[in-house]
Amino acid sequence: MLIFLRSSLLKSFSTKIISSFIIFIFFTGINLQAQDDGKKLFQICSACHSIGKGKLIGPDLKGVTERLDRDWLASFINNSQAVVQSGDEYAVKVFQEYNSIPMPPNNYSDEQMNILLDYIENFDKAPKPVETVAVAEAPEVEGEYVFMEETAYPFANLRISFIISAIIIALSLIDLFITKIVKTRFIHILIILISGAIITEVIVTEAISSGRATYYEPDQPIQFSHKIHAGDNLIDCNYCHFTVDESKYAGIPPVQLCMNCHNLIKEGPYTGKEEIAKIYASLETGMPIQWVKVYYLPDHVYFSHAQHVAVGKLECEECHGDLTSVDRVQQIGDLSMGWCIECHRIKAVQFIDNDFYSRYTKLHEELRSGDINQVTVSNIGGDDCQKCHY
Amino acid sequence: MIRKAFNIAITGLILLTMTLTSCKHDRHHPGYVFMPDMCYSEPSDAYTVSHVFSDSLTMRIPVKGTIPRGYTPYPYKAKSYTDQIAAGKELVNPVPVNAETLATGKAQYDIYCMLCHGKKGKGDGHLYTSKKFPMKPTSLVEKYVQGKPDGELYHIVTTGSLSGLMGAHGAQIKSENRWAIINYMRSLAMK
Repeated sequence: MLIFLRSSLLKSFSTKIISSFIIFIFFTGINLQAQDDGKKLFQICSACHSIGKGKLIGPDLKGVTERLDRDWLASFINNSQAVVQSGDEYAVKVFQEYNSIPMPPNNYSDEQMNILLDYIENFDKAPKPVETVAVAEAPEVEGEYVFMEETAYPFANLRISFIISAIIIALSLIDLFITKIVKTRFIHILIILISGAIITEVIVTEAISSGRATYYEPDQPIQFSHKIHAGDNLIDCNYCHFTVDESKYAGIPPVQLCMNCHNLIKEGPYTGKEEIAKIYASLETGMPIQWVKVYYLPDHVYFSHAQHVAVGKLECEECHGDLTSVDRVQQIGDLSMGWCIECHRIKAVQFIDNDFYSRYTKLHEELRSGDINQVTVSNIGGDDCQKCHY
Repeated sequence: MIRKAFNIAITGLILLTMTLTSCKHDRHHPGYVFMPDMCYSEPSDAYTVSHVFSDSLTMRIPVKGTIPRGYTPYPYKAKSYTDQIAAGKELVNPVPVNAETLATGKAQYDIYCMLCHGKKGKGDGHLYTSKKFPMKPTSLVEKYVQGKPDGELYHIVTTGSLSGLMGAHGAQIKSENRWAIINYMRSLAMK
């Protein structure tokens, strides 16, 4: 009997604990969520206000919800100047006390206002978020890092012709010395010569192409996605590569620039917090991120982005391809001399109304008289050796 | 005789496997440099690892107090309201308002500001409307911003906003372009 009683007591006690625990978790969960939203809303206030840490630009907001009426607070937060100008005694006093610095107007809905005021009221009482809760709230990773479509290897046909030529040579050699089916030796030699020429051609093409970096697509230290930044978010290339129109280099943005957005955006859609955290780490240690250079020109070639972008008015994608649709950068052109010269010969320069070319009087005259209908880069010395090699 | 044929066949096979394996294209490999003379720079290039300094940084942080030639020091501190007011009183917009500077202003605005503040400056930029950036950017055409003097706006563009939600754009945008942007902002409010 005693045992039974004890066990039932224990049972009811334990269910009570469990249920209260569940209720506790439930409520703290909701509470945490609201506090989280409040924290986000308060971020904008925290530039000028603290809660319990003394005056900043504006007054300390600790206990402000007890000192003042909520409706009054709401109207002051959304349009402080209107309240001050209406002659409200307390508002005028506070305004003057804090060097007449107006508080910027806000545009919070009633619901947001309640969350914000609750956050300020419960700031000290707010339970510290438990580690496990944070893990449970970790965002699900949506999508994954997609790569540029595998470009078909363009010399596949060459490889096949190489193999076929090699087989033909082998067969004709065998016939020449062993089987001797074809009697005229001249045919063997002709076949061997032609196949040999094809093989040489293939080897030369392959050797040249293996000295070029087309399709080079290295892994970067951060899985940065051009597709998200320039494609989905429509960020202008110049926003980050801001030296492109005045420098030889387009410029790799410093991490401080990333912080213009990533001060608030801490999670990416592909990799969550992991990759963005590398920016913060770099910012903290002061060590730059070691991006891998994709488009490399040898030191004996001079190339300037400023010349091509600011004067030549080329768009980025003319050389770098459409980066708004791919995540990782892949080298598009082969950056050979032929590649440069080909464009210099075809590309018409924006010649009229371009201060940079105002000195080419002869060409201007010819354009005006109609002798030529366009000026290419070759016309203004784009084919000369010393234009790029000096 | 058979031995001879066998030898030839073996040689052919070896050649075949060699060709098949030799030209493997690897996206991680930038290709070979056949003549490396003058291909790699002797001095450290921009954005390369330095072998001279122990911290391996090629780009050095200038000695404290160094200023570039022709640079006017900017005495106003970031995130300081008093400095912001001082900048508003002391700085004068050197860029005249005309069609040319407004065009520059628009071009620069579209690159650096439109993303958050919107095409018409109403604070409805793509980053906010697509819910990427959680905070509503300030509307540039309303009285709160338009009521500030040019110098104050210049200070905010240069060092970032008081709240820190807008970052400093002084390094990205040239000084005269910042003034041109402010001129363009004024023209947005008039429309």
